[in-house]
Amino acid sequence: MKAPLILEIRGNSLDDGPGIRTVVFFKGCPLSCAWCHNPESKRVQAELAYDPKECVRCDACIRACPEGALSRKNPEFIDRKKCTLCFACVEVCPSGALERVGRSMTVQEIVEFAAKDRPFFKNSGGGVTLSGGEPTFFMDFSSLLLSELKKKKIHTLLETCGFFKWEEFSKKILPHLDAVYFDLKLFDDAQHRKYCGTTNTGILANFEKLISHRAAGRMTVLPRTPLIPGITDTEENMAGIASYLQKHGIKKAALLSYNPLWHEKSRKIGVRNDLADRTETSQWMSRERIERCKSIFAEHGIDTGP
Amino acid sequence: MLLYTQVSDKNRKSVTNLIINSFLRFVAVNFNRRKSLKRFLKSSDGWLNFSVGMRTENGSVECGIIFRDGKVSVSGSVPEDAGATVVFKSDAAGRKLLTGTPTDIIHMLLQSEMRIEGSIVYLNLLSFYLSLVFGKVQINAMAGERKKDRKKLLSESPVTKKELSDTLALRRISTLKCTEKQKGVKYLEDPYLPQYSLEDFPRLKGFLDYHLSARPEVCPEMPLLVTEWHRKHGYETDEKGRPWSPVLRKAHSFRYLMENRKPIIGEQSLLAGTTTSKPVGCPVYPEGSGTLIWNELVTIPFRTHNPFDISEETRELLHNDIFPYWMHRNFREWVREKYDNPLCQQMDERYALYFTWKQATISHTIPDFPKMMKLGASGIIREIKKELAKKGDPEKKDTLRAMIITLEGLAAYGRNLSAQAERDAAAETDPARREELFKLAKICARVPQGPARTLDEAVNSMWITWVGCHMESMNAGLSLGRLDQWLQPYFEADMKKLKTKTARENYTKHAIELIGHFFMRCTDHFPLTPDLANWYFGGSSSDQAITLGGVTPDGKDAVCDMTYIFLKVTEMLSLRDPNVNARFMPGVNSDAYLKRLCEVNLATAATPSLHNDAAIIKSLSKMKYNIRDIRDWSATGCVEPTLSCKHIGHTNMQMMNMVAALEMAMNNGRHPLTEWDLGPETGDPARGDFKTFDEFFEAFTKQFAFIIDRSIEYNHMLGEAHQEIRPTPFLSALIEGCERKGRDVTKGGAKYNSSGTAIIGLADVTDSFMAIKKLVFDEKKITFAELKEAVNDNFANRPDLMALVHKKVPLFGSGSEEAVAMANRIAKWAHDYYGSLPHYRGGKYTTGFWSMSNHVAFGTLTGALPSGRLAGKAFTPGLTPQPFASKSLLDNVRDVAKLDPVNLNNNIAFNVKVVPAASDSREKTVDDMFSYVKTYFDLGGMQMQMNVVTSEMLRDAMAHPENYKNLIVRISGYNAYFVTLNRDMQLELIERAEYGI
Repeated sequence: MKAPLILEIRGNSLDDGPGIRTVVFFKGCPLSCAWCHNPESKRVQAELAYDPKECVRCDACIRACPEGALSRKNPEFIDRKKCTLCFACVEVCPSGALERVGRSMTVQEIVEFAAKDRPFFKNSGGGVTLSGGEPTFFMDFSSLLLSELKKKKIHTLLETCGFFKWEEFSKKILPHLDAVYFDLKLFDDAQHRKYCGTTNTGILANFEKLISHRAAGRMTVLPRTPLIPGITDTEENMAGIASYLQKHGIKKAALLSYNPLWHEKSRKIGVRNDLADRTETSQWMSRERIERCKSIFAEHGIDTGP
Repeated sequence: MLLYTQVSDKNRKSVTNLIINSFLRFVAVNFNRRKSLKRFLKSSDGWLNFSVGMRTENGSVECGIIFRDGKVSVSGSVPEDAGATVVFKSDAAGRKLLTGTPTDIIHMLLQSEMRIEGSIVYLNLLSFYLSLVFGKVQINAMAGERKKDRKKLLSESPVTKKELSDTLALRRISTLKCTEKQKGVKYLEDPYLPQYSLEDFPRLKGFLDYHLSARPEVCPEMPLLVTEWHRKHGYETDEKGRPWSPVLRKAHSFRYLMENRKPIIGEQSLLAGTTTSKPVGCPVYPEGSGTLIWNELVTIPFRTHNPFDISEETRELLHNDIFPYWMHRNFREWVREKYDNPLCQQMDERYALYFTWKQATISHTIPDFPKMMKLGASGIIREIKKELAKKGDPEKKDTLRAMIITLEGLAAYGRNLSAQAERDAAAETDPARREELFKLAKICARVPQGPARTLDEAVNSMWITWVGCHMESMNAGLSLGRLDQWLQPYFEADMKKLKTKTARENYTKHAIELIGHFFMRCTDHFPLTPDLANWYFGGSSSDQAITLGGVTPDGKDAVCDMTYIFLKVTEMLSLRDPNVNARFMPGVNSDAYLKRLCEVNLATAATPSLHNDAAIIKSLSKMKYNIRDIRDWSATGCVEPTLSCKHIGHTNMQMMNMVAALEMAMNNGRHPLTEWDLGPETGDPARGDFKTFDEFFEAFTKQFAFIIDRSIEYNHMLGEAHQEIRPTPFLSALIEGCERKGRDVTKGGAKYNSSGTAIIGLADVTDSFMAIKKLVFDEKKITFAELKEAVNDNFANRPDLMALVHKKVPLFGSGSEEAVAMANRIAKWAHDYYGSLPHYRGGKYTTGFWSMSNHVAFGTLTGALPSGRLAGKAFTPGLTPQPFASKSLLDNVRDVAKLDPVNLNNNIAFNVKVVPAASDSREKTVDDMFSYVKTYFDLGGMQMQMNVVTSEMLRDAMAHPENYKNLIVRISGYNAYFVTLNRDMQLELIERAEYGI
């Protein structure tokens, strides 16, 4: 079984499904969206993150590094070419400025961790959300995890990019799910290839299968579109997705407003991106822009919430 | 009294000595030459003769000022009979006294830059004299401080954020409806009462506006009448020279006061009687802490925090007539004289170790209002007379007689109010109000002398009794109890008589308004706080706790119509005081009720405080109380449980700085700030004296035991002072047990007795221990000496160590079992130790972990800690985990819920700052709050209080207070208006962890 590294298990989330939820973030994703808000979740492998704001400059890490990869003279402090990811520096770092991104956890460990919050789930109608990264990238692991959660009668929700093999998904994942938040990022396939690195035809096909499946069951499916200034929030893309959803009888969707905090995360793992230099993607989104996007959906009879 | 004498050594004198000498000479000349000043040297009893010495620790300054028979002189040494001597830490401190603002001087005292030997009364009197000469300079200096502060704040945030202050106002308009039928609710159609808002009650709105803008005025009525009585009838001995029985003396002076005080019907009020003769007054209790404002009689209207008006007449009365009579007849000086300025008192007066509330008052109980409402004063007198007819010792006879006399006094006041209402009615031009006044005249002709029959009578009976309680002793946390339970029968009796729906609706509205008037009446007084207390107990009013909901003595659901009426009033008015506490019994009380509590909490941003009945009952299970009495508990003051109507639990007998014990354990018994070798020598971390963590823990417990022992010694001495100086026979008549035992409550007359402490710094001490245990002993990452050095340097050279503690040590509130076990270990030790100590009234000492505002004050007076907390920073409020312990509120909630309630039998304060998402509906926000509270209670959590504000709002409020006059915030157990707090406390609230919901 292909086991993922886990980025983080975050309790007390109120934005990733109903009630108070615990969110399990997987590391690794088949897409490579230019704006990915969790850039540290793209790669499957562990990474080394460095946050200069947290650093107290005790230089214990420099002394501990067997490769001589760390130096105050390096432009990014870490010379990632020399770094072999042995994480000796993380061991000695007192402040957590150096951090290992991604750790192995067994299904049992994750379930135990999440189960601590069951009393909160009970009173709030919450549960566990699998997010990432892409949980379906690790189909067997996710399947086992979800089935274990269901054994404990915990509400389960999957946040997905939709890029998966339907057959396998419907067999291994679907039976254990109470809800799916399904991302529809770019309607135009060429754009999707350009910004997300893959075609979207399979994604749309999966979405359609999922909602026809839903029609027979009790499961919630919520399509979500991240609003990326100049990329996904264009009139064409909004209208494209909205009319697609309308065509399929969807009445409710979510628009996720852009936030630029991910650039910081990108920097920490030493990944450069062009969007950080563009004005509109380096700041928060305007209220007007969000309202405009919502109104396009509303024109198609789709409620995007408050 | 300890008298300080020292042989002067001229060679050691410094320039500062010369400066201070010249300064004192200047003062002396002024008093000797200026007639306008000289008259203040004389009181009604003659010349005020005393002297005050000044010196530095090393003797570089030594002088004194002597007031004798109307002459003022200066001496080159500390006068032999100096009533007080100011001891400066350094020459610089001595010079600062002359040039500093009054605020500076408070900080000098707190920070141990100067200390006082002898009686603070003389220093206060001298300070008053200085303010007569330099008052204008002091007033300008305080105004200058404010101006500077204001300028800085405005430069930081020049633009008001109206959208933030408006959000708060909008929250108070409630919208949720109750969809579930409530068993105990007999008459209210929708118990949430969504159809009413403050707009429907113009009178309440007027009262509220007035309350938020009115400045309290010092009221001399009570001490004036009481002193008048004593001058005639004596104090230590009566007119014939026989020693007074303290309890009888108190009763007679009380009756005289009640008979002769001005009966006032507040303008537009549905309740008769007022606490003082001013619209909002500060009563002066001269036998308690009253004389502590002697030094501020000139400057009190001009100080920055809680300024009070004072008339020229009041000032003269207090200085000439009242304070001189009481300057030795108060608790503090009684102890000083009887026990020769004991160490336990000296420790208290250095502010950094503990504060003992009995130097001001005991109060902190729940009087038997149901009895007063049911029987009236005359009925209770009949009951006492029966007891008096039985055999009993002389003290019993005196005590019972004293109770009767006080009840007669209360009844007389009621009759006077009735007559006043008649007179007011006759003069009233508005017919509707005239009708109300006639009704009030009738009500007061009946209660509190006789039993109440209607809700209006019951509420008036209770209010007038409440005024009586205030006339007897200072209210600090004297509390109102389970008013929803006790008023429900009268509400039902009234409702039963009503035949139509409209009549019932009108009556519901009247009931809301009546309770609203009661809340507003509770704001008619404010404790007379010396400026020092604004730094120590900033923004706290009397903390008159009201308790709602929970279970009946039988364990059944107690939530009723009146519960929801009180909640409606709480929501509409959003007052800091009365302090509303709500009980919730899981499995018995409904979810709909808990949701309503959350909605009111959201609307008011800070109240009610939420209690888990199951955990409270468990916490009291080992106290040998009757289970029916336990189930009838009410919150007192902040959060502490008191068994209603029968328990003197002085639940706030002290504020204890537990962190001081940790500091002393780190310093081999020396207390760092005061540089005082106080405690036993228990070893020095720098010398490597501790081989295991347990050895260090033991050192801590030895230091803590030493401090606790002293504090209890002082508590007992002050307890004795209360028995001699201010027994409370009126209160005793309203506490079960006193009649039968024939003893005043100060002598253990109550059915149940105990005293409760508020231990401050549980999270800070736990985290410090975790850092020491993990880093020094378990993982051996650093040596204890290294850690000690870092602490001594305030981590200036060891940011890595600080980071290590913050990031790599499992802290309390992070979800670490080990940290929770450590917190439990500390709490258990404290509980067991306090619980083992004998108590002067019988009963036990109980332990609570809440802090009022002293986590800020004590924090200011404490150095850096192994937990990485820097010197001078506030501790966490109550036992709340540190803001960085975890990113998840759930970890906090789970860890706090895991503390064993048995060790927390004086309750806790767990503060949570939650911020609703702007896009969420009210229903969603309330649901989320409900989920947290319900789960916390399911997990066994005891108490929780939510501040529903953002740091951004609080910052805006700091710079633009005019938009946030009624923004209440929960400090630790009590509510305060944010804009009245001192800066340190405002910042502490801003820095608290903020969890989005």
